[in-house]
Amino acid sequence: MHKISLEHITHRYGDNKVLEDFSFSFEEAKTTCLIGPSGCGKTTILRLISGLEAPLEGIIKINETVATENERIFIPPHKRKIGFVFQDLALWPHFTVFRNIAFGLKDRKAEKVSHQVTQILDLFGIADKANKYPHQLSGGQKQMVAIARSLVHQPEIFLMDEPLANIDVKVKENILTHIKLLQQQFRFTMLYVTHDHQEAMQTGDKILVMNEGVIEAAGTKKEIENSSNHFVRSFMKL
Amino acid sequence: MGGRVSRQLARNVPALLLALLLLGPLLALLVRWLSGSDKLSLLAFIDAGTLLLVGKSLLLSCVVAVLASLMGTICGFLLYRLKFSFRGFYKILLLLPLLVPPYIFAVAWKDGFQWLFGNSTAINPEVGMIIVHTLVLFPLAMLITGTALSQIHSGLEEAGLMRVSFRRMLIKIILPLIRPALTISFLLILIISLSDFSVPAFFGVNTFTTEIFTQFSAFYNHQLAISQSFLLVLLCLTLLLSENKYLSDAPFFSVHVKGSSTKHYSFRKGLTMLHVLLWILLIAVLVLPVVMLSHQALSGREMLFSRAWELLSPTIFQSAKLAFLGASLISAIGLWVAYLKERSRFPHLNTMLLLTFIIPSTVLGVAMIKFYNHPATNFIYTTIFILLITYVGRFGFIAARIIGNGIKQIPGSLEEVARVIGIPPVKRFFSISIPLLLPSIFTAFVLSFVLCLGELGTTIMIYPPGTELMPVKIFTIGANAPLALTSSMTLISFGVTMFFILLFFLIGKILFNRFSYA
Repeated sequence: MHKISLEHITHRYGDNKVLEDFSFSFEEAKTTCLIGPSGCGKTTILRLISGLEAPLEGIIKINETVATENERIFIPPHKRKIGFVFQDLALWPHFTVFRNIAFGLKDRKAEKVSHQVTQILDLFGIADKANKYPHQLSGGQKQMVAIARSLVHQPEIFLMDEPLANIDVKVKENILTHIKLLQQQFRFTMLYVTHDHQEAMQTGDKILVMNEGVIEAAGTKKEIENSSNHFVRSFMKL
Repeated sequence: MGGRVSRQLARNVPALLLALLLLGPLLALLVRWLSGSDKLSLLAFIDAGTLLLVGKSLLLSCVVAVLASLMGTICGFLLYRLKFSFRGFYKILLLLPLLVPPYIFAVAWKDGFQWLFGNSTAINPEVGMIIVHTLVLFPLAMLITGTALSQIHSGLEEAGLMRVSFRRMLIKIILPLIRPALTISFLLILIISLSDFSVPAFFGVNTFTTEIFTQFSAFYNHQLAISQSFLLVLLCLTLLLSENKYLSDAPFFSVHVKGSSTKHYSFRKGLTMLHVLLWILLIAVLVLPVVMLSHQALSGREMLFSRAWELLSPTIFQSAKLAFLGASLISAIGLWVAYLKERSRFPHLNTMLLLTFIIPSTVLGVAMIKFYNHPATNFIYTTIFILLITYVGRFGFIAARIIGNGIKQIPGSLEEVARVIGIPPVKRFFSISIPLLLPSIFTAFVLSFVLCLGELGTTIMIYPPGTELMPVKIFTIGANAPLALTSSMTLISFGVTMFFILLFFLIGKILFNRFSYA
């Protein structure tokens, strides 16, 4: 179980400031939904937590250990026990579904790797697609493969950057049910980025509403519903 | 901290070495020019004759650039934006002249003039040079404008067509959108024509490039050759200054140029006329040169052909071996330079390769000789290393851009996701990046191979003793031999080039099918 805290984070791309003195603690083993308009800094938060980028200012702690501080990365991405599902899914087009998931599994015994991969494919109901290439899959199947690839490493922090955009409601619900079941089983901390207010309300234990790099509101579904913040009420269509 | 320093060292030391090998000769040449024997004035060599020669060279190249750009733009629109059968077939065949060494076409057209008029000088040699340069270089304009046209989103045109006629939309929307491509194709053709040595040399046209070669190699007036070289370099740099950003990215040097949402116009009226026009062009560009060469080479002179084979055959293996080594080195350096530019935000080597790419061949030759002809660097000067370094300078930019554009098309997230799950950098590079870049690397290799195989301008000045290369042999024999012997040798050289193009085309077909991820 991992607790993540961001303290006074400021970050910019060129002249564009994306996060301004941002502080927040993400609760362990819970799902926090990050919601806000495009460019408000949601994806940047995931990239900073994963260690793919370092903030200009501020500290990121994972389980009370400083992972990043003022442009310096102390814990590299692969040592943070993170699963990251990118917005574009980032499935390797030249690998089959099986290899996409197996790639990077450190266990040297092929049988054990195969067992792990088959198990997760079974869980998502796509075991029959193991030998297919990503371009041979439907949108929903690709999303399941991307999620399965991240979960097979048994992460303690699971970051999802709008991975379920542009798929139909039924498939989306199916995938979210799978993830929730896995979260109950493995108790990972999940950060879920979305711009869909309904999805945020359904998925998150906590919801973080952001605008222009700052937090407008944070709390449970009920607390957000009762928020008097004009931006929150307007953006969440309350 | 230590990791960062060692990473920077691993990048900067080879980068400095490459810069020293390529820029060193040019900087040394600049120093020699500035500290030349004639200290009265650095520009003292500029007299009326020089100015006339510069004017003549510029005028000839301008005519070529206008004609080739016009032809290329029209063909670019026809082949990249109209929907009709055999479009791909025409596109491939019309791009072929870019891969065949220009001197082959020069010899072919000289043969043609001989055949038609009984005398190869019956037609003004300047006109011959314009014809050959135009036919060889218009595919470059076709490629550049065609790529730019493919990248225009259909919505932009359709929104225009809702309000105005096609002609007005073409003038007001399409042409302004492809303006950088039109400008750069004109400038590139102008520079390539201005700095080409082989075609004017075969036609016997005195241009600035051939003059530098003559001053350096025939009259041994090195100081004048160096001064003239800098004037030519300055000309080329000035021409490029306006659009160097677009050329530095060179989106047209790309394996995948097909836009995903490009609007293709279908039409029925005039389709037959279009096919007839394209066939006429194909005949002029490809069929006619081969026929003219074959006629001259094979018309009842079997003895001459076998003599040509006897002379040229020892050079084929050496040329192919050198081209293979050159292409391998260029592709490897191109991959490294492209990675540094696209992923590590280190564009300096790319800029350096752009600079050496636009330096005229004879100027580069002079610089290489002056820099490496010393006892300490004899291991470079007297071996094929000098040719390999020069080829990297001449064609490295093309390879770097083809691979760079390939890298741009790979989402960064594909590498990042591997980083997050702990794949080490080397494994990441060989398992993720290289397989995805294979078509681009292969294309860069093939282009470099054929360019090295046909390079004449620099090779003729710097080829080390004991090396016999196809273009050099043809050029030196051609100076004193009957035209028919030169034609026979050129025909063999054409056959060898086509053999390799076909071989790589077949290998590429297998490779591209294996690595096409729809």
